[in-house]
Order: sequence, then C-alpha cells, then structure tokens
Amino acid sequence: MNPSALSDVDLNAYADRQLAPERAGEVEAALAADPALAARVAGIRAQSAALRDALDPMLAEPIPPWLLAAATPPSTRAATAALAPRWRWPALAAAATLVLGVAVGWFGRDAMIERAGTPTTFARQAAFAHALYAVDARRPVEVWAAEEKGLVTWLTKRLGVPVTAPDLNGVGYALVGGRLVAGNEKPTALIMYENADKQRLTLQVRKEAPDAGETAFHYAVENGVGVFYWIDDSCGYALSGNIDRAQLLAVARVVYGQLAARGAR
Amino acid sequence: MPPPASDAAALPHPELVAAIPRLRRYARVLTGDASRADDLVQDALARAWEKRALWREGTDLRAWLFTIMHNVHVNQLALARREAGNVSLDAEGEFGAAWQVPVRGNQLDRVELLEVVAQMGRLPAEQREVLLLAAVEELRYEEIATVLGIPVGTVMSRLSRARDRLRRMATEPPVPLKVVK
Repeated sequence: MNPSALSDVDLNAYADRQLAPERAGEVEAALAADPALAARVAGIRAQSAALRDALDPMLAEPIPPWLLAAATPPSTRAATAALAPRWRWPALAAAATLVLGVAVGWFGRDAMIERAGTPTTFARQAAFAHALYAVDARRPVEVWAAEEKGLVTWLTKRLGVPVTAPDLNGVGYALVGGRLVAGNEKPTALIMYENADKQRLTLQVRKEAPDAGETAFHYAVENGVGVFYWIDDSCGYALSGNIDRAQLLAVARVVYGQLAARGAR
Repeated sequence: MPPPASDAAALPHPELVAAIPRLRRYARVLTGDASRADDLVQDALARAWEKRALWREGTDLRAWLFTIMHNVHVNQLALARREAGNVSLDAEGEFGAAWQVPVRGNQLDRVELLEVVAQMGRLPAEQREVLLLAAVEELRYEEIATVLGIPVGTVMSRLSRARDRLRRMATEPPVPLKVVK
C-alpha cells in the first residue's frame, strides 16, 4: 500500500489493536518499511502504558461508605446514609424506622436471595465470643495488628479459606488484631477493631459449605450484643458490636463492599 | 433460649460495587478533583438505579455506567453554564488550576508518572475523557462513541489529537507538579 495513505487515525487504531485484520496487515507492512512509523506506534503504546501505570493504583483505593450506600437498592439505604459526609447524623433517626424486607434484585439477577437454614447458631456464637473477648482490656486478641500479615496468613491456613482484615479506618475503626475461636464444628477467625472511644467491633469468619450460596444481611441481638451476619462466597461472616443497629449495618456494608471488591479483582 | 430477634437488610449490589473504582477514576479524570469526583459517582449511581429498567441484560455494565456518568456530568455543567449557553466539554483549562488527580504512595518517586498525569490535566476535558476510555480502560472505539454520544470518527480524531498533544508536551519544559498526598 501507499504509506502516505496511512493516517494518524490508522496508527492510533493499530496501536490500540482495533483495526480489522486485513487493514492491520497493511499497516504492519508499512511499519516494516518505515522505522519512523514503527517508532510512532511504539510511542503511542508506551504513552498508554504510562497512563495505565499512573492511573491504575486508584483502582485499589478503599471505597468510601457513602458510595457503597449508593450501590445499595434505594429503598433500603437509610442506615448507611448516616455515614455520608453530605448528610448528618439526624438521619439515624430515620434509620431507626428502616423498612425491612426482601431485597430488590437488580438487572434481573437476584443476588440477595434469602435462604432457609440461616445459621442463627453462628450469630449466637459470634455474640458470645464478642462478649468474651471485646471486654478484655489487656488480651483481647492473640495476634496484634502490628503483625497483620502473619495474622491473616495464620487464619487463612487454619480456616482453609482466604481471610483478610478489611480496612475500617474510613468508618473510624482501627484494627486491634485477631484470634482463632472454637466454633460448633469448625474453627472461626475473630478479627477485632476499636474506635477512638474504645468501642470494639469483632468480625468473625468461618467456612461454609460450597453450596451455601449468598444471603442478605441478617440481624440478631444476643444478650445486648448486636450481630449482622451473612454468607458470601462460601464464607459466613458475623459482625458484632454493642453499637446501634444502623451504625453496625453501615460498618457491615463497608466490610461487605471491601470483600466484594476484592473478589472482583 | 428464645430465638434471636432477626431481620434482613439489602446488600450493596456486587456488580455495582465492582464498577465503583473505575467510575471514581473516570470521574477524577473528568473533574480533576477527588471529592467532586466522588459526588459525581454518587449522582451517577443514583441515576443508574432510576434508569435500571433501561439497562439491557448481557451488555457491558461498566460502559453503561460510564454513559450515565458522562451524561450526568454534562448535564451538571450545562446547569452551571446556563447563562453562557455553552454545554460542551471542550472548554480548555476549565479545571486546569484545580487538576489534582493523585498518584499515591510508593509511586511518588516515579516522576515520569506524575508528569504524564500532570500533562493529561492540561488537555481539554473531552480529550482526557477519550484518552482514558481508549488508552486506560481499553474500550472499543464504538463503545466510546456510545458512552460519549458522538460519532466513531470523532472519537478517533479526538484520540489522535489528545495523544499528539501529550507527546508534544513531553518534549516541552515541565510545568510545576501538583501532588496530592
């Protein structure tokens, strides 16, 4: 082909691998004949790679809670809205009258199926373990946050499923550490967090049967300890704390969002 | 022991959650400002819920959300500029002074990455947008045309201009960098 017929648009489309095969073949022949053209294409690709290198780390940033709330079906959103900077705490009053019920499917996919056989015993155990360890001022955990990497490696190994410690600093809770606790049949990982007022939350994780599916958030109160629990990706999760339901739900959504984002990568 | 009080609440939608990081990045490239970007993402997600009946199953959710966000942004600009009657994205330097797309943490030592981001900030918004969608998100030109509501030919010529300007900037003396930690 005549190289002069090769436009910038052709070179860009070739560099982006968006040309039809026969046209790409023509461009390739022209590039082989003209090192300057080949250098242009290499330059375009290098520029794209530099942009990706510069902008890709943004994808790993934690998602703020108000954006997770915006990804939640609107009718059930009141509780998390309380954490958004755009809104104020009085919204919690509205959250107290939160309408409960069947989650709304989105795009025809019902990702929030509520199933029979919900493991209420897990919630009960989680509340007991929370009550036992969260009040312990000096030895609430076996492995402290300073050794977070060792902690998650150990828990992952003992549970046989990937365990991570979600980053809850965005909602004011710092990692304290974690421990292994005895469950009904299987070991449970306990990960503890604490806010500036020394209020503690625990996230407990255990492996579920592979066909356990996915459930909505369920809420239970045991001896004054509130527990949100759910199943996702063959793991059961229980978030326990002595804080009000709306705040606990807001934190639960952050935890869920981080785990979902991790699974999506 | 009596059965515990129990109820259920909805989860964030997993596919939407998965799309949020890319929406935030696109919004930052559009607005050049992290908090305005997150406001835009929030508005776009709200709009997506309103319009969810219009999403066609089996099509790319990410591209659909980009389309919605682009339109929300253009509409917001149109409102802001109603007096001037100018609703396009092509005003150059609009966010130039405020452009602060952060390059974080361990990358601070990589000067060339900071430079390329700073240079991108000097492009008109319509070129930044095409560059992000083509070079970073690697969408097909046809998809980009749908997202932006413009002909494919316009996508290709904008992209070509954007790359050309960025290439020429790389050979000019650098401007002072604005780093957000």
